[in-house]
Amino acid sequence: MIPVAEVLDAALPAQAAIPEVMPAATLNHYLFVSAAMFVIGLVGFLVRRNLIIMFLCTELMFQAAGLAMIAFARFWLNADGQTFVIFVLTVAAAEAALALALVVLLFRRAESLSTEEWQQMKG
Amino acid sequence: MDTVIHPALLYSLIAIGAVGVVIAMPRRGPNPSIIGALIAAAAGGGVIAALSLSDLGAIPNVHFYIFSAIALGAALRVITHPRPVYAALYFILTILSSAGLYLLLSAEFMAFALIIIYAGAILITYLFVIMLATQAPREDQVEALADYDLTSREPVFATASGFVLLAALTTMLFAGTSSLPQDGASGRVAQTEAKMALLPARVEAALRDAGTMAEGDELVMIEGTGEVDMNLPARTVQVLRAGEGDDAGVVETVPLPEDLKLRNVEALAFNFLNEHPVTIEIAGIILMMAMLGATVLSRKQVQLDEDEKAKQATMLAEAQASEQGPAGAGPVPAGVPQQPTGGDA
Amino acid sequence: MATTLLHESASWLMAAGQLAAEPSVGGVAQGPWWAWLVPGLPIVGLILATLSAIGGVKSKAPAFLTVGCLAGAFVTTVALYMKLGTDTVAISHAWDWLSFSWGDGPGQSFHAGFSLYLDSLTLYWMLFVTGLATLIALYASEYMSHDVGLGYCRFFAAFNLFVFSMACLVMGDNLLLLFLGWEGVGLCSYLLIGYFYKKPSAVAAAKKAFIMNRIGDLGLLLGIFLTFAHFGTIEYRELFALAQPYIDALKAGDVASIPFEAQMIPVLLMIGAFGKSAQLPLYVWLPDAMEGPTPVSALIHAATMVTAGVYLIARTYPLFLISEYALPIVAWVGALTALLAATIGMAQFDIKRIMAYSTVSQLGYMFCGLAVLSATGGAFHVLTHAFFKATLFLACGAVMHGFAGQLDLRKLSGVGFMKGWGIVGLAMFIGCLNLAGFPFTAGYFSKDMILAESFVTPGMSLIGWILLLTAGLTAYYTFRVFFRVFIGPKHYEPGDELHDHDDGHGGHAHGEEHLHDAGEHGDHHAPGFHPHAPGWAINTVLATLAVVSLLAASLYFIGGDDTAKNWPYKMVQSSTAYQVKVEGAPTAAFLTGGHADHGPHGHSDLGPADDADGHTGEHSAAHGSFLGMDPHKVMYYVSAVVGFVGIAVAFLLHFVGRKEAATSLADRVNLGGLQIAAQNKWYVDEIYHFLVVRPLLVISHIFHLLDRLLVDGLVNLAGFLPRAFAQSLRPSQSGQLQGYAAGMAAGVALLAIVVMVLTARAGGVL
Repeated sequence: MIPVAEVLDAALPAQAAIPEVMPAATLNHYLFVSAAMFVIGLVGFLVRRNLIIMFLCTELMFQAAGLAMIAFARFWLNADGQTFVIFVLTVAAAEAALALALVVLLFRRAESLSTEEWQQMKG
Repeated sequence: MDTVIHPALLYSLIAIGAVGVVIAMPRRGPNPSIIGALIAAAAGGGVIAALSLSDLGAIPNVHFYIFSAIALGAALRVITHPRPVYAALYFILTILSSAGLYLLLSAEFMAFALIIIYAGAILITYLFVIMLATQAPREDQVEALADYDLTSREPVFATASGFVLLAALTTMLFAGTSSLPQDGASGRVAQTEAKMALLPARVEAALRDAGTMAEGDELVMIEGTGEVDMNLPARTVQVLRAGEGDDAGVVETVPLPEDLKLRNVEALAFNFLNEHPVTIEIAGIILMMAMLGATVLSRKQVQLDEDEKAKQATMLAEAQASEQGPAGAGPVPAGVPQQPTGGDA
Repeated sequence: MATTLLHESASWLMAAGQLAAEPSVGGVAQGPWWAWLVPGLPIVGLILATLSAIGGVKSKAPAFLTVGCLAGAFVTTVALYMKLGTDTVAISHAWDWLSFSWGDGPGQSFHAGFSLYLDSLTLYWMLFVTGLATLIALYASEYMSHDVGLGYCRFFAAFNLFVFSMACLVMGDNLLLLFLGWEGVGLCSYLLIGYFYKKPSAVAAAKKAFIMNRIGDLGLLLGIFLTFAHFGTIEYRELFALAQPYIDALKAGDVASIPFEAQMIPVLLMIGAFGKSAQLPLYVWLPDAMEGPTPVSALIHAATMVTAGVYLIARTYPLFLISEYALPIVAWVGALTALLAATIGMAQFDIKRIMAYSTVSQLGYMFCGLAVLSATGGAFHVLTHAFFKATLFLACGAVMHGFAGQLDLRKLSGVGFMKGWGIVGLAMFIGCLNLAGFPFTAGYFSKDMILAESFVTPGMSLIGWILLLTAGLTAYYTFRVFFRVFIGPKHYEPGDELHDHDDGHGGHAHGEEHLHDAGEHGDHHAPGFHPHAPGWAINTVLATLAVVSLLAASLYFIGGDDTAKNWPYKMVQSSTAYQVKVEGAPTAAFLTGGHADHGPHGHSDLGPADDADGHTGEHSAAHGSFLGMDPHKVMYYVSAVVGFVGIAVAFLLHFVGRKEAATSLADRVNLGGLQIAAQNKWYVDEIYHFLVVRPLLVISHIFHLLDRLLVDGLVNLAGFLPRAFAQSLRPSQSGQLQGYAAGMAAGVALLAIVVMVLTARAGGVL
């Protein structure tokens, strides 16, 4: 049977007294959330036809990667993961700026955000 | 293989989740996206519950369940909502709950940075672009939405390939984490603690708060480096006493307070600024290039033929002439400095 | 006499040997710096002519600047002769052109300086080159006057460059500088033949000359390579010192000890000489080269450049002497060329072409002169020929200039009697006498020296007979031109190249054919055309040249105690063209070949020869003979008789009974196919075309096909295969953004599964 009292005890918010060693089983939870978020972003990128939403989906994937890195940083108590997330944020910001500029440009040309408007690369 | 969740259970849950996502995709006609979302949420919850039950000693904080539920649900809504504005707003929700997860992972600096940068800057840019690039429909006017927002594209195939990837990823992740050393980070703690030697002011303040260091006492530093002379395995420092008489000039070994630990922000700062300085430079260059690129790209290019250009040029010239004409002809007002001439420079 | 000669040779060679070690001691003096004015002044002229072209000068200034520069070069040469005399050898060193060294041993360094080698042979050559160039430049100032402007500047620029190159060729102190000049004169020849570059035939002739010369130049270049490979130097001073052991071996009769390699050097060098001097089989370019302006024909293609081959052989004479093959080949090539060109010349109608063939023929004489060990005769013939052939060409040029390009001897008659043409006719007459070898003209004496020596030299009497026959033919075709064109009833038809020269009549006589009766002057009865009598420049030059070519005969008598020790003899014998002459069997060639074949004439006497000298009247049994008589004594009479016979035949066939211009006795003589063949130059061009050009064309077409089918095919296949492969993959590129993303996602999933399965297998689960 499930020891309810112990479970509740563990699940209640504790003082975030760091650095405490995090068990690998806890890491699994975060990694699953990260993987699920990544796959949702990927599916959205494949399914949606709106250029802006597709870019939002890429941001979602960035986000998932960032979450995984933060989780690992916590697990190893190593700030490298966080530093890398800062870098990811930077790239995401730059990408958003450029991509959105391009989207605006494309929208001006075709008056549409549909990806089907842009098939010049067809072989 | 020491499996965290039995593969059959994991894969069936993922398959159910995939079905839910397919159902939730936008489409014309009857749109049971709520049902699909519920199915997908159930599947996701199933996986997390199975994870938690597999090791009751390592159950995460209850806030984890709340934040991850919001994050994944909002993420699903981002990709299923037909209106781009709502999708963007749901994305902000994802960001916020992700920031909560970051907090749970004691990355508070990153959590706030995420909210400020993503929710505050990037997503606002998205919203602006969405407003620029779409004609927002009135409330309940679903038909006014663009066709490309209303229908999804090959939802079954896309979801299938995505969830096959998820199945592979989770299998590998769970297998990988189970082989990780359970106390893998313990060595790190000391390594992080060593950075305390670089923060003499904090060490001194903590010692004074603990009462082990009196007025006029001084921490013993390593010669010429500005680092505290710290004995880390024993967690002790040396203090130069400033007391009267015999006590004067005596060096004592004093234990560090138990609660004196390197904070997360401090650890991040050491890591970021000490160990990855080039990263900052590269990030700066990337941002500047992106700014220039965005400026160039989004500039409105006006197509003028030659006649119009000539006309505009003459107009400009006339405007300049009319500006300069009276000023050049009239006397220079007193107090206005003369143009420097060649000789007196 | 022979002893003294040998002694002289030994001392000269010893001196040369010392020079190699001690450049500044002995006979090689430091030459005066102003010797460089000889090549330098033409360069100044070249620059001035170029500047004139840039400045757009529209007067005759470039011509007179050129004349001034060339006259300066001539005066410098004369001054050099005054200073150095006939015995001194001097070197004027300007700068080190090429100087490499890759070791200390012999043959491990390479030096070629910009240095002038000033000996009597050099001065001999440069005297007539610069002198003639000056006169002909003056002539050209009038001759080219229809082209005043850019073309005029271009002409004189090339003219100056030619004289500079010729000076490098003749005065350079190493074979590389000679080669530089050699190529330079070839270039100028090309430029000047193609002067009328809008005329297809001129362009073709220029190309022909250039390509033919390339073949010869390859031989020369290989010869220079072999010289360096064998002797380790290409500087004359050291080269001839190094050749001395071979000459010693030759004198000792030990020909077998001379290495084959060394004997091949002259064979290669002579190929270059044959190309440049238009000998068989490379002579065909010279007649075509007459497409160039006549002063060019006179200077380059008659008097100077074409004698470069003769100069080359004379300069490297010691090398030729030690080879068993070289001189006999030269002799036979020269003799056959002389005969062949003379027979072609007899049948031609274009007077300039006749002169061209005559040049080829006379060059053959010069080669024979060198080959039969009469370097003096060869060199003297070069000199006399330069003057009288220049006279003849310039007279022909005056006719061409005056009659609008008319050169057909059937359409001109009695030109010498027309008003204003007297000097031309007289100059032509003097030139013809010289060429025909009329007694007591310069040509007579120089030709005699060669003829006599060819009978004297053992094994060469057949050559002598061929040359004698050629002399008769020469006299015939020379006077054929004179009798038909310059005397007789007056008549002319203008050519088709009317210049816009003086009075606006030009341009409207094209294609018209006006036949004029005897006694009628063209300017009364030929609407649209006047014969354009030569002006002062042409007349002055013609008169000067005619007089000089007559006076050249006196060189035969001056300068020595007897005719055998005359001025040309001194000039030639005190240079590298020295003859190492052992009486009876003088060179490697005649040691082996001559001795065996010509027993009665070629007695070999290899001991210290003390009984005879080839140039005096005292002859031993070793001396060759002419029908049992001494060639030196009888040849005067024999060649005079042969010349008279030739002139008489020409007189009978072309003058006697000629009332109309186009009718003469010769027209009734029909030699059938022989005549036609000679008229068509013995079909040599056609044979070359068939034997060389056609096979080359066929081969190149085959290679072209190979290239297109095989090489291109392979290349195209290499391009086609990837394209075909890509074509099959093309449909996968849908252009849909998500298509690519889905492919990527599926790929990542696949990879993850593969890794997963592999890991599981490694863990022993699967």
